[in-house]
Amino acid sequence: MLLLAVLSQQSWAAGVRGTAKSTLAPLEAQMMSLASSTDHAMAIFGDIASLRAQNQRLSAENQDLKRQLAELNAAAYDNKELRQALDFQRTFGHRTVVAEVVGRGPDAFSRTLQIDRGSDDGVRAGMIVVSSPGLVGRVRETGLHGAIVQTLADPQSRANVFLSGSGLQGTVIGGPAALQLQVQHRIGATASKGEWAITSGIGGGYPRGLVVGSVTSVSHSDAATVDTALVDWVNNLATMTLVIVVLDFTPS
Amino acid sequence: MKLVAGLLLMLAAALAQVTWASQLEIAGAFPNLVLISVIGLTWTEGVRAGLFWACAGGILLDLNAPGPLGPHALALLAGVYVTGYWARNLDRESTLHPAGAVAVSTVLYSLVLIGADNALGLPIPPFRTAVQLTLAASLYNAALMPLALFALRRVTAGLRWEPAEAS
Repeated sequence: MLLLAVLSQQSWAAGVRGTAKSTLAPLEAQMMSLASSTDHAMAIFGDIASLRAQNQRLSAENQDLKRQLAELNAAAYDNKELRQALDFQRTFGHRTVVAEVVGRGPDAFSRTLQIDRGSDDGVRAGMIVVSSPGLVGRVRETGLHGAIVQTLADPQSRANVFLSGSGLQGTVIGGPAALQLQVQHRIGATASKGEWAITSGIGGGYPRGLVVGSVTSVSHSDAATVDTALVDWVNNLATMTLVIVVLDFTPS
Repeated sequence: MKLVAGLLLMLAAALAQVTWASQLEIAGAFPNLVLISVIGLTWTEGVRAGLFWACAGGILLDLNAPGPLGPHALALLAGVYVTGYWARNLDRESTLHPAGAVAVSTVLYSLVLIGADNALGLPIPPFRTAVQLTLAASLYNAALMPLALFALRRVTAGLRWEPAEAS
C-alpha cells in the first residue's frame, strides 16, 4: 500500500490517478440525487405522521398536496441556486464554469469536495472556487471529468482577509467546527462581533473582495501579538450543491 | 456470491461515506462507514476477510480523497490487524468488545492516515485539531458499531456466510 501511495504520487502517474478518481463521479452524482430524493420523501412522511389524527380522506388529500409542495419547493430551491450562480457569473467579472458537487472528502481531516468538472472543462489545480455567498476554496487535484476542491473548512486552508468594519488584517485558518481568524493588532482599532471577513488579496492566493464569513466571537489578549476570533463561514459544506470555478485567476 | 456481496457492501459504504456521512457531523466529526463495515466484517468473518475488504474499501476511499492512492487502505489495514487480535482473544458475541475495537481502530486509523500523509510530504492537520477529531470520531463509530454489527450478522446469516473460526 505504501508502494502504491508512493508510485501514485509521482507526477508521471497524475493522469492515471486523476482518471481513476473520476470513475466514481457518476455513481456519486446518482447517490447525491438519491440522498436529495430521500430527504424529500422523509419530509413527506413527517407531514403524513402529523395528519394521522384526521380522517382518511383528508389525510390522503393532504399527503398529495404535501408531496406536490415538497416537489415545488425542491424545484424552487434548485432554480434559486441556479439563478444565484448565473447572477454571480454575470457580475463577478471573471471567466468561470459552474460545477455540481458530487462527493465530499471521506475523512474529517481533509474537508474537500469532489466536483463534476475537470481538466476537459479547463479546470486546473490551484484555481479558486467560489459560490454565490462567497469563497469556497481551491482546486487541489484534477481528473478529466472531475476535480477535488480543498475547502476553507479544511484544517490546512489559509486565506488572508480584512474586516469590513475595523479594516484590520488577518488570516483565516480552516477548522472542523468554525473558521479561526488571527487578527493583527493595530492601535485604535479592535475587531468586533458581526464584522465581515473579506479576502484582502494580500499574498496573491485569492482575489480581493470575496466574502469569507462573519465574526461570531473575538478573544483579545494584550500579551499576544494577534487577537483570535471565530468566523462563521458563509458556505455550508454539508448542503453545498453547486460551486463556481474561476478559470482566469492565477494565484501568485 | 460472497465476493459480489462484499464488493457491493464496500461500494455502498464508500459512496455513502462521501455523499451522506458529512451530513451526520457532530462536533466536527462524522462516522466512517467503511471503517465500521470493515471492522464488522473482521469481527464476524475473521482477519483474512477483514484485510481483503480493508484494501478494497480503502482504495475506494482513496479515489475520493486528495493525494495518492493507498493511505486510507493502509490505515484500514492497521485497524483490522488490531481488531483481529482483539476478536481472537475475547468474546465475539459481546456488543461492547466490537464497539471498543472500532474506537481503538479509529484512533489507529487516524494515526496511520496522518503518519502516511506526513511521510509522503502532504499537509497534515494541526495536532490539537487532529486529537479532537479523532476522539469525536472514535466515540461516534463506537456508538454506531453495535447497530452495524447487528445488521451485518443478519446479512451474513441471510447469505449463509460461514462464520470464521474463533481461534
